[in-house]
Amino acid sequence: MSRQIKKGLLHRLPMLVLTLALGMSPNSEAKNASEDTDGQSERGIVLRKDRECTDCHDETSEYPILAIGKTKHGTTIDSRTPSSCKSCHGESNDHLEGETTMPMPSITFGKNSKNPIDERNQICLNCHQGGKRMHWLSSTHANRDTACTACHQIHAAQDKVRDRVAQAEVCFVCHKEQRAQINRPSRHPIREGKVVCSDCHNPHGSAGPSKMVRDSVNETCFSCHMEKRGPFIYNHPPVQENCAICHNPHGTTAPNLLKVRSPFLCEQCHEPNSHQSSPATLTGYYRRNTLARGCMNCHTQIHGSNNPENIRNEEVFQR
Amino acid sequence: MQQQNILHLSTIAAVLTITTPFTALGDDMIKQMTKPQSTIQFGAGYLSDDNARFGQFSGLRDEGAYGIFNVDILRRNDDSGTWFKIIGRNLGLQNREIRLEHSKQGNWGYSVEFNQTPRYEPFPAITAVEGIGSAQLEVPTIPTTGNPTQLKTERESINVGINKLLPGNFELNLHFRNEEKDGARIFGRGNRLGAPSPTAVGGFEFTPEPINFTTRQFGATLDYTGKDLQVTGGYHGSIFLNKNSALHITGGSDVGGIYAPNNFSPIALPSDNQAHQAFLSGGYSFTPTTRGILKASYTRATQSDSFFPTQFATPGIGSNLGGQVDTALVQSSLSARPLPKLSLLANARFEDRNDNTPVFFYNPIALEPDLNGNRWSGLNQPRSFRTWNSKFEGSYALPMNFRFISGIDYEHWDRTGSPATTGHRSTTDEISYRAELRRTLAETVTGTISYIHSDRFGSHFLTNRTATGDPFFNFIAPINLADRKRDKVRLSVNWEPIDPLSVQVMIDESWDNYGHRAGSDLGTQKGSARNYSIDAVYSFSELWQATGWFSRNETFLDQASLTPSPPRHLQERWTVGLDNISTAFGAGLNGRPTEKSILALILSTVISLINLINQLFRMHKPIRYQISISSSPDLDYLLNMLFKKTMGSG
Repeated sequence: MSRQIKKGLLHRLPMLVLTLALGMSPNSEAKNASEDTDGQSERGIVLRKDRECTDCHDETSEYPILAIGKTKHGTTIDSRTPSSCKSCHGESNDHLEGETTMPMPSITFGKNSKNPIDERNQICLNCHQGGKRMHWLSSTHANRDTACTACHQIHAAQDKVRDRVAQAEVCFVCHKEQRAQINRPSRHPIREGKVVCSDCHNPHGSAGPSKMVRDSVNETCFSCHMEKRGPFIYNHPPVQENCAICHNPHGTTAPNLLKVRSPFLCEQCHEPNSHQSSPATLTGYYRRNTLARGCMNCHTQIHGSNNPENIRNEEVFQR
Repeated sequence: MQQQNILHLSTIAAVLTITTPFTALGDDMIKQMTKPQSTIQFGAGYLSDDNARFGQFSGLRDEGAYGIFNVDILRRNDDSGTWFKIIGRNLGLQNREIRLEHSKQGNWGYSVEFNQTPRYEPFPAITAVEGIGSAQLEVPTIPTTGNPTQLKTERESINVGINKLLPGNFELNLHFRNEEKDGARIFGRGNRLGAPSPTAVGGFEFTPEPINFTTRQFGATLDYTGKDLQVTGGYHGSIFLNKNSALHITGGSDVGGIYAPNNFSPIALPSDNQAHQAFLSGGYSFTPTTRGILKASYTRATQSDSFFPTQFATPGIGSNLGGQVDTALVQSSLSARPLPKLSLLANARFEDRNDNTPVFFYNPIALEPDLNGNRWSGLNQPRSFRTWNSKFEGSYALPMNFRFISGIDYEHWDRTGSPATTGHRSTTDEISYRAELRRTLAETVTGTISYIHSDRFGSHFLTNRTATGDPFFNFIAPINLADRKRDKVRLSVNWEPIDPLSVQVMIDESWDNYGHRAGSDLGTQKGSARNYSIDAVYSFSELWQATGWFSRNETFLDQASLTPSPPRHLQERWTVGLDNISTAFGAGLNGRPTEKSILALILSTVISLINLINQLFRMHKPIRYQISISSSPDLDYLLNMLFKKTMGSG
């Protein structure tokens, strides 16, 4: 007996045991199943027409598939859902009819797939091209051979990347730098699942830079930090241009997600007028620029002030 | 070097051990495998030591035992396609959240969600300030022994969403979010100068900011999804409300005369504001391999919060700012595959942010000389800018599963405004060239090697001037405006030497070289960044996997400036090398000990070096600023986590 036939029997064995345990055979269920109008197949276990596949593939097979029935794809009353496994995997005649060999289905999505990634993704885009996925084809992910199934688990009851606590682990498969950054002392609550990657980024592409969910970095930040939006009487120019000039939202060692500790951060722009360019010291006059909040010990309104009265200099942000 | 571990080793074993079927599922095994299942997870954990950072966003800060439970109630009526879900997380903790969803798939749906997120300041404040959390603070007039005070804020949000599919492939979505953020956070007031001399150490006072914010977001979208054409149009609104417009402080130090801290009251708090956006986005597939996308939006943001009474109010400024910022955005892209092996992508984006806020003379004493003898305009300074971004990219498939990708990115900024205390240039341009070689769909080794070179340049720097027209230093090119050349290489390799073992290596390194203002070599000089990472996954079987990973980030930046005046003629050059280093590694074991349960054991360690003292010692500066080692606050950050969870479904 060839290896493939043994494998086929092994695949069928759990389903056979299962059906016997349930006191029915596939044929007995078929008696109750309604015939499809095309008469080509009977009602399936998880999709409308899947019996050709579920005769072999169950939760104990090498490629378990039944959990798709727990998902929206498996809500068969919704006519938009796949009618059968072939809707995504193609006709797969060689796979179905193979006796001595068992070629792969026409379209597969696993790591050993021979199908071009564009072809695989198009299967998903046939139904999921609108809405938040409108910009997919112009996104970096699409143009760097990222398959939809690299992130999404179609047959799992819970798609990991759509679980707020688990999502970041999926992103970190590629984005290693951010994996280290979110564990730095100053960070967003990403580990706790209270802020997740998709709160700020649309991995399917967007009109903003870095796939921001809003149209710009600042608009995205303002979703949660709206108090920084202004406009103010006294605006701090880099605040208006891009929050990421001073902050790294993924995590930093300096407080408040600042890229560099004050006063060094401020001195990257400010002229050497009096204290504005003092070296960082731990004692003496200029410890005030180093300890606690550094320059922000006095310049507390660093994002802008709506107070008409600032002492002498409209850019001091002190009150 | 003195070392202080901010975080001690702490572990929490969140053991989710009791898994109970929520509903009686009957005996049908197929149903168990194919129909949504409900679970309730109970758990208990123990925090081995007080740990402020660990529990910063969860409230798990103090040593002791904690209880927790999660709930997933999932029901689907297969005959109608109706779903009912209640999903609760962290229900025993301060970061709890619960969501209810009810929908008829393919027809209608609604959801309601409650979400709570605390944020604790890592360190308690020892303070005698009274009224913390309110807008009326009382500060002692002389140094006074205080009590430990824990500052925290907490966000509580309610989200509501409604969707309805309409005839003709249309779908309507409505969303509303209300968030209340309350508490207090670190804030202060002070001044650098005080009697008896201008170089006296300034006085600072701890004046926590009251947080009583309300943010609301709401909107509607109408989607059309056709085979070739997809369109989304809608509205998004957001409103910010602050219950306190100003912080009023009584008491405090009067040292420093007119510059004393006790003069700094009231202090403005974030002002109410709102924004309203209309947008339209569409994508059309001209052919199976050619697609175009267009997005346009228009946003009006306003800020008209009333001014509070102040000591110096210029007549005629009105009762509020009348702030208005109008932003228009157009973005389009075209992707095509003219040849089977050739893909092309063109992308263009234009954003016009126009600040239409009226300009008034707000500060009546700005024209009086400050302690350095400078005078300032007292005008508000609305700034507008336009940005253009464009990208062109080509990708060609080569033999042996290789693909070559090359592209050009271009960014242009056009800004209004005139410089006063910092440098300003009206336009900056940045152009980047990219080349990348990828290998995918290979069985043993896949990966990428890429190189990017970018060059930022711009118009001449405008001369910084005071209100009297006098030049004001003009030495520093701000880091976001300075000329910059950047080179970056990136290597990524996925290697599967044997079937159960997968190894992933990523290395990237970049180098920055900053330009300077004419006649000056101050400001940022050179920078570099390195990231190394290696991951390995070994699959013992389909059910058991072991993982291990290591990552290291390093960033370095050199910058220079002059020591302060006065006396100005003694200004001397100083330089500093800034570094930022993180090392992280972890290991995990994932598996299915039984048919119904999943086990995950994860151990991770993160070491971040806030190497302030190293940075200070590496400063090259005049001897009078040298620091002593006796009180060096070297800060290392070490976080170890051991997390074990078992999950199952009945």
